[in-house]
Amino acid sequence: MSGLTLRLRGALPARTDLGALTADGWHEAGAAAMARRLVLVEGTGAVPAGDLFDVQGTPGTRLVVAGDCALGDRLGARLALGEVVVEGDAGDDAGQAMAGGRLVVRGSAGARAGAAAPGHKKGMTGGELVIHGRAGTGLGAGMRRGLVACGGDIGAGAGTNLIAGTIVTLGALGEGAGRLNRRGSLVAAGGATPFAGYRLAATVQPIWLRLLFLHLARALGLPVRREWIEGHWRRFSGDLTDLGKGELLTWTPS
Amino acid sequence: MRIRGVLIEETFAEAFTMRTARLVVTARSPRWAREAALKLTGFATSVIGCKCEAGIERELDPAETPDGRPGTSVLFMVMARDDLPKRLVERIGQTVLTCPTTACYDGLPDAPDRLAVGSALRHFGDGFQGSKVIGGRRYWRIPVMEGEFVVEESFGMLKCVGGGNFLILAESADAALAAAEAAVDAIAPLPDVILPFPGGVVRSGSKVGSRRSRTMIASTNDAFCPTLRALAPSQLPEGVNSVLEIVINGTAAAPIARAMRAGIDAACRDGVVAISAGNYGGKLGPHHFHLRQVMGEAPA
Repeated sequence: MSGLTLRLRGALPARTDLGALTADGWHEAGAAAMARRLVLVEGTGAVPAGDLFDVQGTPGTRLVVAGDCALGDRLGARLALGEVVVEGDAGDDAGQAMAGGRLVVRGSAGARAGAAAPGHKKGMTGGELVIHGRAGTGLGAGMRRGLVACGGDIGAGAGTNLIAGTIVTLGALGEGAGRLNRRGSLVAAGGATPFAGYRLAATVQPIWLRLLFLHLARALGLPVRREWIEGHWRRFSGDLTDLGKGELLTWTPS
Repeated sequence: MRIRGVLIEETFAEAFTMRTARLVVTARSPRWAREAALKLTGFATSVIGCKCEAGIERELDPAETPDGRPGTSVLFMVMARDDLPKRLVERIGQTVLTCPTTACYDGLPDAPDRLAVGSALRHFGDGFQGSKVIGGRRYWRIPVMEGEFVVEESFGMLKCVGGGNFLILAESADAALAAAEAAVDAIAPLPDVILPFPGGVVRSGSKVGSRRSRTMIASTNDAFCPTLRALAPSQLPEGVNSVLEIVINGTAAAPIARAMRAGIDAACRDGVVAISAGNYGGKLGPHHFHLRQVMGEAPA
């Protein structure tokens, strides 16, 4: 399979902005061109990616980043196509303002994954962001479209200013999720406490959640439990202080 | 050519190019998936009077459906491509949307020709509807009293073949019906084909036009009516007192030929005199299924 693999030579020395790795034309870049892309290391400045990563492979629509990138920020930022796989943890702002493609973080992600860039209103406008571990605060803030799927717990403030799109977690959803949610969907298999702007509508077995969870299991490899597919979900409508066409769904053992 | 003593006449079935969509209807149980599919495909025997032809292709296991529930696969066929979205919207809207627990998905997701179906039906939601993109496919969620009706935004359309057929010429009505039932049972498990007529069988095969009316598109096939043998030119051999027809539509010519082979073989039994086929002299339909070739005889 064509594509590049970037393997960390050692631990990142400081917080590092890795957004350049998936900037325009990344899928056409060969190993040498990718190694020349400049990433920003806090306190040091711009350095070629090749100084931090061993880059191998051929151009293609798949990029694998191997190693602990917990200090690596903006991985998959503005991704529009292809698949980027982070084999370990990712830092803050992973998948920032993604427009398409798929970003997979095998470990956990820091704050503001899938959210809007500073000074911008819209977060993700398409694609799939898959985090197998936990996610930090502010996940998916300002999302317009797309899917964020998280295997673990999510920090506070997920889906703030959610315009549309879906955030689903197999764990618990942190407090204050979905403030100013207009049309988006927040789904928490591991429980959530609805923000005051939400009102319980009904306990239901949504068909679209079957489609969603089967997709998470079959295509994204997340450990979905049968009772989430077959079971009952409490549907809260909100944020009623805004448009209110959004929803928060929490699984309920029947 | 004879099969178990039954003459396979040297003639051919003449079929037409049509347009098809495949619908996957799922529900909480096979009962409700089938119930919706039966209503969906009701009154859809012939484009002559029903505007479309439709039938149940097969039952689907939960592992074969998008939402993991029991389902039914349905094929819809029309002559003109512009007719298909109209027929789907009106029929899904009246029969699947209304049926408890069902959802409706596209069974031809790779077809490049797309029909706006869910995106038209969504307006029933009166502004409360919403959509979700999952795995690259958009689904509309339409709130209904029971909960939500989920329907895929667009459905694929392909060219297909309609009007494959064969005629069972039998000594008696009982023998014709028994042979037709055996043929239908043999065809039923085959994929990519439907039998749009009641129970898969037609008793009123037609000819083009009418002897007495300029406006009638079709009228009784007098040459194959046993009771008219003394009154009109007949194509029936001696000893034939009843004729039934099996009409087969398929996603392509090959599945129809396969179904004809299975059906004819099953129909060759006691009381059947010959197997024939309906055609229009080869002038109307581009697809010709020569019975003896279908049954394995090398072309002359």
